Amino acid sequence: MEIGVQKQTDEEKQAQPEQFNKLDDSGDKKQTGYCGFLTVEYYTPYFNVTETDVIQRIKATFLPFRPDFLNITKENPDLWGPIWINATLIFMITAIANLRQVDSEKENQSFEVGYVPQATALLYIIAFGTPVILAIVMKILGVDLSFFQTICLYGYSMSTLLPITILCYFQNEMFLWMIIAYGVGNSILFLIFNLKEELDKLQIQKKYIIIGIVVTMQLSLYLFYKLVFFSYVSEGKIELSSAAQEESQPGN
Amino acid sequence: MDYTNQKQPQNYSQMEDLKTLDLEESVSETIMRDLRMIAYKLKYVLIPKEQEDNGKELRNWDLWGPLIFCLALAMTLSFKADSTTSSSKSDVFAIIFVLIWVGAFVVTLNAQLLGGKVSFFQSVCLLGYCVFPINIEAIIIAFVGSYLPFVVKLIPVIICFAWSAYSSVGFMASLVPPHKKKLAVYPVFLFYLFLSWFSLIV
Repeated sequence: MEIGVQKQTDEEKQAQPEQFNKLDDSGDKKQTGYCGFLTVEYYTPYFNVTETDVIQRIKATFLPFRPDFLNITKENPDLWGPIWINATLIFMITAIANLRQVDSEKENQSFEVGYVPQATALLYIIAFGTPVILAIVMKILGVDLSFFQTICLYGYSMSTLLPITILCYFQNEMFLWMIIAYGVGNSILFLIFNLKEELDKLQIQKKYIIIGIVVTMQLSLYLFYKLVFFSYVSEGKIELSSAAQEESQPGN
Repeated sequence: MDYTNQKQPQNYSQMEDLKTLDLEESVSETIMRDLRMIAYKLKYVLIPKEQEDNGKELRNWDLWGPLIFCLALAMTLSFKADSTTSSSKSDVFAIIFVLIWVGAFVVTLNAQLLGGKVSFFQSVCLLGYCVFPINIEAIIIAFVGSYLPFVVKLIPVIICFAWSAYSSVGFMASLVPPHKKKLAVYPVFLFYLFLSWFSLIV
């Protein structure tokens, strides 16, 4: 049974509040009426992975030409990866951006901590909002991918940002743009190759709509990334952006 | 001092008996009793030798301890923030406070989603108590940090981070099935790493 079709019958079951399926050993979802998705048990089946699985999935994101990822996760999309890859990214952004500031200033070590809320908002909205929008668009256009598979796909595509963030430590502007370009390319290829199988079933125009959405969101994510977090190269820019930060904070 | 021999309540039914006396005792006694319970739990959580009954004491969870340590950490870091960061004090305080509570919430939720059968507040309580070493290192760095080079500051940071992580990992790893242990432990590690980083930077 395909996952897309299974999700529809689950929705039908949820529409009948009287129907009550018990949680059996295979980890099926427990329907408890309209608000099933607010319980913890609803999401438990999506955490059915081990650490080797997670590492295997992350490795698969760096090799976009082999569509291993969708084959691996079709039956078992997981949510652990998306959530904690983004959390790791938030920490790394804070750490690397602060380390960059250590280099450029001599005596007064002034560290910016405003990255944390910015990074959290940016990463989590993109990591969860984009796949939800994409999944809705795809369902309208007739593709069979469930929400959780798209979220899983997008979340793991964020793992391309992990080495990029570490490399952003270096001050060379050309180098930064090069690795950002590599990141954009890698994640777009990863997403498109994995969606290819599903997309080939559609007409050309619909395919390009979806590809267009994917490309736009990835480009905007990486541009945001570069311009907001890692645009400090010289001391002049630091004063400029920290002054901009102070003006935008109502507490000051 | 061994607090278990005194008339400190060790479970809820004993606390019920003492409640009738609560109204008659002075405020300082009430506060001292709470403080002694917090100190007892702290020793229990952080010093592994005290745990003879495999963590059953943690069932008497309370959130006062975590709140005190969270406030202390946020105040220490925001106190230093004025002179060393370009963000305002209230920003730093807010970030640390939200980070601790939301972080504990998310880490506990993660353990539950991975299949762990643990009471939610018990786990939040444990994570809050293990923030205490981070508090110690924040105070050390706040007072003597400006006189030390970066590398020397790393030593207490790493020791306290390892202490926090080690104390809470034992509990967390026992909650989930064995093949998912690292998935439950990694968020705890990330949580304390984040807090240690802040105490180092600010």
